[in-house]
Amino acid sequence: MPLQVFFLRRLLLTIPLLVGITLFSFIIANAVPSDPVSANIPQNAFDNEEIIAAFRAKWGLDKPPHEQYLTYLGNLLRGDLGVSIKTSKPVLEDIRQFLPATVELAGFAILIGMALGIGTGIVSAVWRNSIADYLTRGYVVIGVSFPIFVLALIGLNVLHVQWGIVAGPGRLDFIIRDPPAVTGLFMVDAAIAGQWDKFANAFSHIILPAFVLGSFVAGIIARITRSSMLEVLGMDYIRTARSHGLRERRVVIRHALSNAMIPIVTVIGLSTANLMTGAVLIESIFAWPGIGRYAFRAATSQDFPAIMGVSILIASIYVMVNFLVDILYYFLDPRIRVA
Amino acid sequence: MVVVGFLVVAGWVLVALLAPNFATHDPLSQDVSHRLDEPGENGHIWGADALGRDIQTRVLYGARITIPAGLAVILLGSTIGVLMGATAGWLGGLWDELLMRITELFMAFPTIILAMAITAALGRDIRNAIIALVIVWWPSYARLIRGIVLEIKHNEYVDAAHCAGATGVWILFRTILPNAIAPAIVLMTLDIGNAILTFAGLSFLGLGPPPTSPEWGSMVNAGLDNFSQWWMWLFPGMAIASLVMAFNFIGDGIRDIFDPRLRRD
Repeated sequence: MPLQVFFLRRLLLTIPLLVGITLFSFIIANAVPSDPVSANIPQNAFDNEEIIAAFRAKWGLDKPPHEQYLTYLGNLLRGDLGVSIKTSKPVLEDIRQFLPATVELAGFAILIGMALGIGTGIVSAVWRNSIADYLTRGYVVIGVSFPIFVLALIGLNVLHVQWGIVAGPGRLDFIIRDPPAVTGLFMVDAAIAGQWDKFANAFSHIILPAFVLGSFVAGIIARITRSSMLEVLGMDYIRTARSHGLRERRVVIRHALSNAMIPIVTVIGLSTANLMTGAVLIESIFAWPGIGRYAFRAATSQDFPAIMGVSILIASIYVMVNFLVDILYYFLDPRIRVA
Repeated sequence: MVVVGFLVVAGWVLVALLAPNFATHDPLSQDVSHRLDEPGENGHIWGADALGRDIQTRVLYGARITIPAGLAVILLGSTIGVLMGATAGWLGGLWDELLMRITELFMAFPTIILAMAITAALGRDIRNAIIALVIVWWPSYARLIRGIVLEIKHNEYVDAAHCAGATGVWILFRTILPNAIAPAIVLMTLDIGNAILTFAGLSFLGLGPPPTSPEWGSMVNAGLDNFSQWWMWLFPGMAIASLVMAFNFIGDGIRDIFDPRLRRD
């Protein structure tokens, strides 16, 4: 199957899923027996019929549900996600403001998770039952069992409060102003502007939350890398490669790892969901002004437009990442190309 | 490892059952004259919190909330998932397509975002936190069981049951499901640690039981305000970690027993 056909077919498959996501988040936001009016109007205005009626009319709460959904979908296609009840700003604008912080944090975390996870996974498979293997296996169990919000608190207490080797909560020190906005990723922006002291400060702020967030993912990736590598290393073609006199490093990297990659890539794609889950917890501990904290505040104040906007955004990111993983399969597995 | 896991879990279950016998204090009674006592001070072995409540007592009582909550999520979630998956796999065709698309939808939402929206909407208490987690928990079971049912529904013994005149529902529940249930049980044991972790995460965010109740996640959260009083968050945090780790040991062990291919490693 040529790449274009494969690509288009997978892309078309994501469309019903994306529509379903919008419908589903709409249902959650509306079907529950809760009242956004009482959540967002000050107590002393409860008796004021006019204020309540105006509020309902303003947010379309007085129309039947299917009409509300179609209106929402129409606006969504035009890039209008509605106005957040809590911040009184368009949800899209809020997302633009908060997303870069999460992208920077989660991106850094997944890099740490991949480097740590794939690295230790290979080492522990190649030198099975060595000390490195036992350490990795122990790390995997702890990494996937330890609540990251507790790990974050231990890290903050030891590395920041007691030893002072990393910075505390926030993206930058209070007295430092944001670097000129280009991408919204502070480290990248600071580097572009050549403000290396700001870069260092941003790095010292992000390293701990990113490491905590990445550690969980690293555990999952290390586990799958190890078992996938062990399986491939037992294959006949590995023995063949060795018997041809290839150097061990080439056998491991070229022949084993590239064939062990498919389950690893799958797990990395699926772990985007774990990353977002972790981001909500980590962002609330590290006062990280990202989408996770925004989602949390929206959920606790029953801010429907914001809840829907964020749910749709995050679910779409998940679908897109897994779409990319599917495309990667095409390059990793020659059998897909032939089939 | 499995033995260690079993011992730790058994220990926690015992603690949960006999919490009043082990505890030195009352989990709810406040004593402002002893607020933020350090570990060992005034009979507070693990210290006291900002309202003078005994941390150790509250951690012991916390097992009474966390263990049943984790079990409830897994049992309810797997039951719904198995029923959905079995129905999809058994009926096939359009129904299969529809049910699996719904399952995929649920899987696309990150657990905590969905659970957060649901608990926030239903109201914050333990029951709603469990409902929210069940809603996000069933899809992985549905997927698993559907795959297995698809695999075995064309086996000869299923055809034999057909020939013997068994009805569809009978075949599904008496012939197919008993052969498909083992992997679901493995998944349940692997999964319970994760369910406890997510439940603790939800209550850490304030979306679980009320802050007064001795729940581990919300105790860690209360420790955020008194960050330098490390005993407030470290002990409940370690309680979560030890229980989850023990369940994961058991889960890994059970998976190895059911999957001999992995045991060879």
